This record gives sequence, structure tokens and C-alpha cells, in this order.
Amino acid sequence: MRRVKITFRVIVFVLFGTLLHYALPQHDIVRVVNTYQERQDLNDWTRIFWARPDTQSATLVNRDVQFIQTVKQRTALFGFVPRDATEVMVYRNEDTGWSWPFYFKFDTANLQTEAADLASTAEAPKWAVITHYGWRNEYISAFPNAVAIRPVDNPDVTIIPWFNIFFFIFLMVAIVFGRAMWRQFRERSVDPLLDAAGHELDEVQASVAARRGRIKRWLDTWRAKDKG
Amino acid sequence: MGFIKLVVFGFIGLTVIYLSISLFSRSVRKERLEDAFDEAHPDGGAAGARDAFIAEGLAAYDASIRPKLIGLVYVVPTVVIGTIIYLVNMN
Repeated sequence: MRRVKITFRVIVFVLFGTLLHYALPQHDIVRVVNTYQERQDLNDWTRIFWARPDTQSATLVNRDVQFIQTVKQRTALFGFVPRDATEVMVYRNEDTGWSWPFYFKFDTANLQTEAADLASTAEAPKWAVITHYGWRNEYISAFPNAVAIRPVDNPDVTIIPWFNIFFFIFLMVAIVFGRAMWRQFRERSVDPLLDAAGHELDEVQASVAARRGRIKRWLDTWRAKDKG
Repeated sequence: MGFIKLVVFGFIGLTVIYLSISLFSRSVRKERLEDAFDEAHPDGGAAGARDAFIAEGLAAYDASIRPKLIGLVYVVPTVVIGTIIYLVNMN
């Protein structure tokens, strides 16, 4: 039972962590190479890796999506450790509108223009920081969604993930607070009820035992006295 | 349409949180009043004095600013969402 409990907790923790890794903002240091727009089919399960910019887009079978092609500085350990290497990365650029994930992004066209403005060559690189969420997966054609871009002077800038810091502090506080609320609820509302129910059960059992005692005594009066 | 959906479900979710925190805060206050009375009157006090003390303490709690501050549950997320919209879309 203990092992089942631990397994269950690990699964919940991993699933929740995966969800956060997908949805929370991350920063990449990139050099924009080009931008393009391509028609995308949206009618299979990989639909979950595309945004839903407005209500009508939920039922569309395909639509045009904008993309930003970049060369990106490689990192390790969730982006905390910079590495001296580059790789290519392609971002999609879609509105998230009023729905999940809650970035409330409506400025796709502006972002595309800014990205195009920053395009540069390997010989004369212009570096920029792209804020994005989501994953790149070549086999199912999933792309991270770019949320913002800002130019930086050199590719060695230190980025402090303020949003994520506050998010995790808030998450910890919310969990501790939720536990306190649940304990108070149990102590003040559930336990007294259980105690009362337990007390009632004791009384019922006692009265059953007493009645059985009476019946037994009555039966005993019919028994032959010498059998004892 | 997406906006209406967010407002409606957000309001429902925040109302659940608001009611939970209200009940929790009042329950904590009541427990503290009970403990305070029991500490001051180890013999149990006069008949009805405990209930009167707790009722009085809870009335003072209801009149104080603390329960009103729980209304921030509605205000803070609205402000945060407004800030996110501004930061993401402004340049």
C-alpha cells in the first residue's frame, strides 16, 4: 500500500512538472535567420500543440501559421547552464487569446515584424532573447510558441526568470495554505462528525449486547437447572 | 467568446476560493477564541459565558477589516491578468 502511494505521488508530480515545463515561459538567446508562414493541418491529436487564437479557430481543419527561424545558443539543465554551441530552432508565432496557456498574447503580427527586423547573418550577428513556451518535436511537428523578443548586445547576457521565481513562490505558499485549510476543515468539521458517528455506533453495539444478554437470560430459564 | 468563458469560469473558481478562505479564517478565529476562554477559565466559567464570549469575538471579527481583505481574492488575479496583458502586448 505504501509503495502504491509513493508511485501514485511520483506519477502526479511528474505529470504536473511536465505540464509546467510546457506552459511556463523560458528564455532563449537566438539570432533570427528568417521568418515564414505556412499552412498547417490541424485535424489530428497533435492539435494540442497548436494554439487556439480565437473561438472559430477551434473548428478549423487547417490555417496559416507564422514561424520564426533562428540559430539558438545551446543550454543545459532547463536553460540554467549555457553551453558554447549553437543549434537551429524554429518557433511558431500564434496568438493565445483568452485561452490556455494564459499568456493573453494578441500581438502576433507585431512580434513577427520585430523578429523580421532583427534578422541577421552569421557574419554580422544580431542577438536577441526570445521568450517562449512549448516544446520542439521534429517527429510530430510541434513548435514552441514565441511570446516576446528583445535585442541584446551579446550572447552572454544573464537572464533572470522573474515570472517563474514568483510563480514557484506563489505555488509553495498556495500549497502550504491549502494544507492548513484542509487540516482545519478536518479538525473542526470532519473529526467531530466521525467522533459522533463512532459514539453512536458504540451505543448501538452496547444496546444490542444488552438485549442479547436479556434474551439469553430468558432462554436460560428454560434450561434444566441441574445441567448447570 | 473566449473572454466571456474566461470571466465566467474565473469567477466561479475564485468564488470557490473566496468561500473556502472565508470559512477557514472564521474557523481559525473561533478556535482561537475558544482557546483564549478556556485558558482564562480553567474551571469552565459561568453557564453560557463561553458561548457569549465566542459570539462577541466573532461579531468583532465580522466587523473588522480582515474578512473584507479576503475580497482581494477577486482583485489580485484581475490586476495580475491586466499586467500580463499589458506586458505581453506592449513594447
